[in-house]
Amino acid sequence: MRPSLLLSSLATIGGLMLTGIGASAAADTTSSEDPTARDYREYLLTVTRPNQLQVIDMTSHTLLRSCDIPGPFGSGIMVPAADGKTAYVITNIWEDIVGIDIRDCEITFHAAQSSGNETVKSFQSVAVSQDGQELYTVQNPVRLMSDHYEVLEPRLAVFEIADGIGAQPVRTFPVDRRITKIAATGTGEVILGGGDLQAIDPETGDIRVVEPLQNWQRGEEWMTPDAFAMHTQGSQANEYIMPYSTARFTDGEQDMATAEWWWGISRVNLETAESERMEIAPLTEVIMNFVTDPTDDNILYGVFNSVSKIDIATKTIVKEQPLDHTYYTVNVSRDGNTVYAGGTSSDISVHDAETLEKIASIQLPGDMSTSDMRVAVIHDAAP
Amino acid sequence: MNHKKARLRLFFRSALLLMIAGLGSLSAQARGGEEILREHCTLCHAETTTESGAAHFSRISDQRKTPEGWHMSINRMLHLRGVWLPPQEKQALVEYLANTQGLAPSEAAPFRYLLEQDTNRVETEVDPNLEQMCARCHSAARFGLQRRTEQEWQYLVNFHMGQFPTTELHAMARDREWYRLAHDEVAPELAERYGLKSEAWEEWLSQDKPLLKGSWRVIGFVPGKGEYDGRMTAVPDEDGNGFMLQMKGHYADGSPLEGEGHARVYTGYEWRGTLMLDDVEMRQVLAADPEGETLRGRMFLADSRRLGGAMNAYKDHERTEVLAIQPGYLRLGESREVTLIGQHLNGEVSLGEGVRVEEVIERSDDRIRMRISAAAKGSPGVRDVTVGEATGDNILAVYDRLARLEVEPAHALARVGGNGGQLDKMRVAFRAVGYAAGADGEVGTDDDLRLGYMPADWSIIPADETAAHEQDADYAGTIDAHGIFTPGDAGPNPERPKSANNVGRLKAVATVDDGTDQVSGESRLLVAVQDYVQRVLD
Repeated sequence: MRPSLLLSSLATIGGLMLTGIGASAAADTTSSEDPTARDYREYLLTVTRPNQLQVIDMTSHTLLRSCDIPGPFGSGIMVPAADGKTAYVITNIWEDIVGIDIRDCEITFHAAQSSGNETVKSFQSVAVSQDGQELYTVQNPVRLMSDHYEVLEPRLAVFEIADGIGAQPVRTFPVDRRITKIAATGTGEVILGGGDLQAIDPETGDIRVVEPLQNWQRGEEWMTPDAFAMHTQGSQANEYIMPYSTARFTDGEQDMATAEWWWGISRVNLETAESERMEIAPLTEVIMNFVTDPTDDNILYGVFNSVSKIDIATKTIVKEQPLDHTYYTVNVSRDGNTVYAGGTSSDISVHDAETLEKIASIQLPGDMSTSDMRVAVIHDAAP
Repeated sequence: MNHKKARLRLFFRSALLLMIAGLGSLSAQARGGEEILREHCTLCHAETTTESGAAHFSRISDQRKTPEGWHMSINRMLHLRGVWLPPQEKQALVEYLANTQGLAPSEAAPFRYLLEQDTNRVETEVDPNLEQMCARCHSAARFGLQRRTEQEWQYLVNFHMGQFPTTELHAMARDREWYRLAHDEVAPELAERYGLKSEAWEEWLSQDKPLLKGSWRVIGFVPGKGEYDGRMTAVPDEDGNGFMLQMKGHYADGSPLEGEGHARVYTGYEWRGTLMLDDVEMRQVLAADPEGETLRGRMFLADSRRLGGAMNAYKDHERTEVLAIQPGYLRLGESREVTLIGQHLNGEVSLGEGVRVEEVIERSDDRIRMRISAAAKGSPGVRDVTVGEATGDNILAVYDRLARLEVEPAHALARVGGNGGQLDKMRVAFRAVGYAAGADGEVGTDDDLRLGYMPADWSIIPADETAAHEQDADYAGTIDAHGIFTPGDAGPNPERPKSANNVGRLKAVATVDDGTDQVSGESRLLVAVQDYVQRVLD
């Protein structure tokens, strides 16, 4: 698959400037540290409509290339492999998963999950094992019979990435309904974000509860949380975040009007699979997504109509910067210096992490709508 | 030009009806409907025979719904399941299914507002469970207008999972075992509440259906034009289940009203009319009472269905009937011109205690234009009005002081549109209803005296401080002298913070002069973005 013609000129300019991924000498506007001295390069990845993977150099804030994704737009959800070279994207209205080499747009993997009268959708769920061998997704199948639908049990499907184009699951295990975001841990489990936070062993199918949410036992004082993970942005801190909102009833009655409203997160360390759950800030405004500062796990950034900085220790929003428009998703550079607000429209808003001042804007050729905005980190210089 | 167009349309419709003549009698129509089902549907919907020997088509035979409901189901088959039906067979099938598997009048009665497209309202008393499961996306009327077996309700849950797979991920779904609850608990509850079989339906099926041909005295309201009265004649067309319509009358300001069109009757009482009224295409959604004495419902603009007003029609039986006075209120000590509306208005006019006719300006069989006055020291209250032997109960309100004004609808939704986009602006028509304090002299109590709709001065204001700060009232739209709110242009507006669309939270304010006092009332108005899913029933 070639880069799109539409963007070939942009990509060429990017290519000339940077002489290929991993060899840029462009100035770093966000850090006093010399980026050329680093042993890694960071690339911001997102999907735009109609259906293209956009590869952005995070040092120069330049669009490097646009890779056509087969099929109609999915939800723009993706996961980069641990080596940063391949992005696995949910496409074809959530039915297919394709692997795209971000260096040359080559399609290296394609799992078409629906067949015959069985339609299989993956809701935001795609993860790759940390050794890069296996790909995981939660399949939600329905079967269209002659005059009605039959609803089948969801299942974790395990694919061998080496199976490439036409890959079929090598193992499947039953899982709960309503699972969205998933992530692979260094301990060999897959975190399942649904009503509760669970972990499944993809060898045996054994499931354990990581953090109860829908089934938390906090008594009458706390409302059952509305937990929902739409986007995946914990990779820079090697963690998984499930945000939730809840209410603490203050007067013995379950009165919404007098309740205190809170944002909270369940957070899983993806190296150790250890987890924590906590309220992080009062729910005074909508925040669509959170990401942890990779250099300080007490600091979270959130976006929606503003980019916010949250201090977990004091449970307060310590800084806030209004945005030009609504942005759904957020990510951060590995050095913790730069925050990116993306999703929704066709531009990524780039902010200094300390001041939250806007320092750059990256214009893309299409709208991101619900897409992920993830960071691929490549450690070797070879394109 | 529109009359010519309407006549042409009627000509083609007549030609079409001739082509499908033979569906005339109910039994022929029944055979026709069954044959269409057999020919176009049995590839997927298996036909079996019930114990009583009737044909049973899987899924189809286990549901009952309104003509609009069947229309939507057939549309779904056409658009999503690859069915093709000639338009006249689609029409015949809707008619057959609505006639044989429809809703009894009493079953549709609580939810007529949805059929009438009168959807600027907040539904109340919805079962909390059903509200969270179904009415968080649909109106409660949408499922309240369906009857299904338990398995059918369960199939409907499964349909949602197949067709709209993220249903279980929505707010108020993702925090619970949505599919299990919907399938195992809510579907049985729906079957209990809205099951396939009902006495009301069996009774309605066996009952003689009202005869609706003839001359009807009509009263109603058209936004921007005002209240009207007139006559509608319904002449049966060739298929025996439809009528050629003619409507003629006056708006309250004296301007003429004229139109013609066609109506069909489904399920024996569901009247659906389409007509060109003056220059505008209108739809009528009316329900006949079981005796065929009245048709009640709403007439609205075909291309803007939220703009409409109540329409009531009264069968002409060649006897005197007193129906309304426009306007239906009179202040103590006041003298004003009114129009008494009825039919065959023969005999002396009596307006009740303390009210007298000063002068008859114009009198015909159907209306009496007159100047009336109320004694300054009379007592407030409603009056019966009689003409000869006939009485209109409580149709004239005599009041001392306008105490409060209500704006209808109390909660309204408009949507931005136009500006080169795919969808037109979705407007709202407001009306102001006056009340006097009633016998207890206290405003806002149950005995407040409803005076009726009043002409008012209209304005919009921001709903609250936040809306004021966002300058919603400057961007979200404008309201005209008739109380019709037109929202702003669609699309991001670079002038607004965050390039917001011209959305807003407003109040529509009506003000009426009552002697030396000014009385105001207000309604909540939300101006939202476009809704790209256009449903027959929301």
